[in-house]
Amino acid sequence: MFDFLIATFTVAGIYGLMALGLNLQAGVSGLLNFGHIAFAGMGAYGTAIAIQAGWHPVVGAACGMLAAMALGWCIARLGRQLAADYWGIATLAIAEILRTIATNEDWLTGGANGIAGIPSLFDGLGRPWSALAFLGVVLVAVAVFALLARRLANGRFGRALRLMREEPQLAVCMGYDLRQLKSHAIMAGAAVTALGGSLYAHYMSFAGPDYMIAAETFLLWTMLMIGGLGNTAGVLVGVVLVQAAYALVPFAKDHFHFSPDLAGALRLGLIGAILLACLLWRSQGLVPEKLRKIP
Amino acid sequence: MLQLLFDTLLRASDLALVALGLSTVYGLVKFPNIAHVQYAMLGAYATYAFFSMGLPLPVAILIACVLTGLLTLALHLLVFRRLLRSGPAITMIGSLAVAMLVVAFAQGFAGSFPRMFNLPITEPVIVGGVRLSHTQIAAMATTAVLLVLFTLLLFFTRTGRAMRALSTNPALAAASGLNAEGITRLVNFASGAIAGLGGSVLALSTGAHINLGHDLLLPVFAAAILGGLGNPLGAVLGALLIALTETLVTNLNFGPLLGKSIAFLPVSYISAGSFLVLLLALLFKPYGLFDREVRRV
Amino acid sequence: MPRLTRRQLSTAAALALGLSALPALAQETINMGAVLSLTGANATVGEDVRRAVALAVDKVNADGGVLGKKFNVIVEDSGGNATTALNAARKLVSVDKVPVVIGEYSSGITLPMAQYLVKEGVAHINIASTSVKIRDLGASSFNLIGLEDKGNQFSSKDVWDLGYRNVAMIAPNNAYGQGVVHGFKQEFEKLGGKIIAEALYTAGQSTYRRELQQLSRSNPDAYIYTAYGQESAVINREAMELGLRAKPFYAILISMSLSDTAPEIAKGQLGMEVGNVYGDAGKAYAAAFAAKHKEGMKTSYTGYAYDAVLMTAAAMNKAKSTDTAAVQAALKEIGKGGYVGVTGPIVFDADRQRTDPPYAKLKFDGKVVPR
Repeated sequence: MFDFLIATFTVAGIYGLMALGLNLQAGVSGLLNFGHIAFAGMGAYGTAIAIQAGWHPVVGAACGMLAAMALGWCIARLGRQLAADYWGIATLAIAEILRTIATNEDWLTGGANGIAGIPSLFDGLGRPWSALAFLGVVLVAVAVFALLARRLANGRFGRALRLMREEPQLAVCMGYDLRQLKSHAIMAGAAVTALGGSLYAHYMSFAGPDYMIAAETFLLWTMLMIGGLGNTAGVLVGVVLVQAAYALVPFAKDHFHFSPDLAGALRLGLIGAILLACLLWRSQGLVPEKLRKIP
Repeated sequence: MLQLLFDTLLRASDLALVALGLSTVYGLVKFPNIAHVQYAMLGAYATYAFFSMGLPLPVAILIACVLTGLLTLALHLLVFRRLLRSGPAITMIGSLAVAMLVVAFAQGFAGSFPRMFNLPITEPVIVGGVRLSHTQIAAMATTAVLLVLFTLLLFFTRTGRAMRALSTNPALAAASGLNAEGITRLVNFASGAIAGLGGSVLALSTGAHINLGHDLLLPVFAAAILGGLGNPLGAVLGALLIALTETLVTNLNFGPLLGKSIAFLPVSYISAGSFLVLLLALLFKPYGLFDREVRRV
Repeated sequence: MPRLTRRQLSTAAALALGLSALPALAQETINMGAVLSLTGANATVGEDVRRAVALAVDKVNADGGVLGKKFNVIVEDSGGNATTALNAARKLVSVDKVPVVIGEYSSGITLPMAQYLVKEGVAHINIASTSVKIRDLGASSFNLIGLEDKGNQFSSKDVWDLGYRNVAMIAPNNAYGQGVVHGFKQEFEKLGGKIIAEALYTAGQSTYRRELQQLSRSNPDAYIYTAYGQESAVINREAMELGLRAKPFYAILISMSLSDTAPEIAKGQLGMEVGNVYGDAGKAYAAAFAAKHKEGMKTSYTGYAYDAVLMTAAAMNKAKSTDTAAVQAALKEIGKGGYVGVTGPIVFDADRQRTDPPYAKLKFDGKVVPR
């Protein structure tokens, strides 16, 4: 049971990193990124390919992050005045293209098999210390980036992003380069998410194209919407709640003897229902964004 | 050559009806409805359910379409109309949630097993060297008939004129006395029914399965966006274009270029091909290929 | 952090913790684990294997259980993807604390899952995956089924003996399919044959006409294919509609490939399969299966799952313990010779792989029958 809890918290932490990255883009900047999981995938594959080539895990993570940032830069430049929802569909298409490439190019990504045998970071320590050490690393990462995100969001950069979100024309009048703001927001979010993806690859000892399924982005969006767009604390609340719901389903299945189809349906349905409920009755999320009121 | 033509038409008829529904309803509600493709899935399951109860196929499809249309209408009234007050982005995310719920429902009730239709196995019809099964001919015929009917409705009836007016300029249309709410409800019902029809016809070949909607998502959106969201017939042309791209991409023999006798692009890149088309469309002509509106830069 | 959020956070965490402590009931049964593909593309196989597992549990309990207690197999769903399978394995190991886990079905899922189990030191028994990488999984992984190398040798020889020289291949684009195409090509070319066209299809498409059309352009002597049940149904139907059935169709792992195909369409196909049931024990097993589930076995993996469960129970009894290290030692002992399961005699080599795994030449005539 102890192992299971450690596992649940580790995965929650990793999703937390990815959600923080999405929050910077979607929450603070108002960019509807529906292909966000591609960044995590780049992080995971970057790590996997680097490890296969014999490089150190830190180098691998860095490779993944750089690749994700490059992708982010490209996405940011996509279409000059594409409306938010169209841009969202474009990002979804990009993520799917990347997933197709990952599934087919087995010389690079191992094809549909993915790349297996990635060492978990602390194997030498033996059980249970290796799992605890990994959890420690993840929690430290989450704490660091949450604080960083908060500082960014409350600082000049964050204010500029919010202005771009609410009144883009005013932002232009005040001299902000919207394109550059967009690029920076997306690249920063991409880097954090790629780190999450990299850690996930280490944790599962495996990197496969299934990591980049569109449903994963939607999961992150759900975490964001439930907790509260734009608010760092809200993001973490959302992550914990969704992870808890996900982790409870197998136990409910055992307890109430559901069929596996019903259990799968329950997971998906629970997330969908929670998201819809939040949107209908509390669209700012459980922890709404606190805007600074000028007295 | 003829084979290529038929392949294109077949694939286009898979997509056309669902894309048509999506584009039509977008013209009125102005948000991309991700749950729309799931209506096709529901239609497929409903048809399967009624067919296995013993109803003849056309009747089963009819009832399934009506039910899907009613569900679409209900979702519009209960969910999307409320969310639209908060803007199209929130509504799009809401449609995402609805899509998840619909899939969860289908999985819970029908299981993740595809349901194949128990159709009699017949010899294919041979037309000029191309083999077509009866199911495929029925699919293309149904799509064609419905498109003709829809075009007639859109351009030659009062309701059609009202629909076009409403999607072009809602404020003016309402001001000139059109029943905006009534038309919107009608269009929602119709688009849901058409999507259900598209899904049912598709399921005749592939069976009703829970990924039916999701597999259609990007190609249908690509077709609708290519044609211009809000331009129903444009969506059909978009579907044709996507189908053509997919067919050409996999049937072009690159062998001579590479010095081999036969070399084809792996079929798995088809979807990448149509997404690339979508991306290019969004970059250069986000309002569709047939966009003639003058917009202030 | 604002106070409100901290409270919300800790409430959520406490809720998660509390509710996850639910299954802390006393265990009077001895458990082992199984991860099967109960949902997803291979649900037919998963369900078939689950039935075999249930049958095996009944047999073990009828014979007196394990160590005097009731025996049970906790079955988890892999959902047809590696991530769910890994989470299922993690639950079995850390929550249910089973000493042995059997599964899965698709090599792309078995490999990462078994790597995790080996890392945790828990015994793994492979019952259906055929990738050659299974051999190198590690010290606590056992294998009951013939791997691709032996399978490909058998099938390529069979195809050659049937007189086909230039063939076209189609297989799924995953660990299993890629392995089959690769391995079959190697073996077939050694015999002098040629693969003149190959297609790796992506699962879950609504149609496979394009792949089939690409293959038909090469005009082969025969089509060699392998596909998971539900996709195979579509492929077979479209092959018939396109007129490709004028040429022979040879299925690798025929009962998997035809598990969801209509009999009128499957008629006349040839193929091979991992050996299914053997001898008197096998016949008795087949009879018991058919008696309990009217339709009989749909795939040939059921026998391997049955044997895996019975072997595990026997090993637990032999080791007089449920500690995973002791059970693994006992399994190795049993595998030294003399154990006959429903799939035939089971002998492990030094790498805990099965020596001389059985194969069969088959065809479809109303149902899958030997040639």
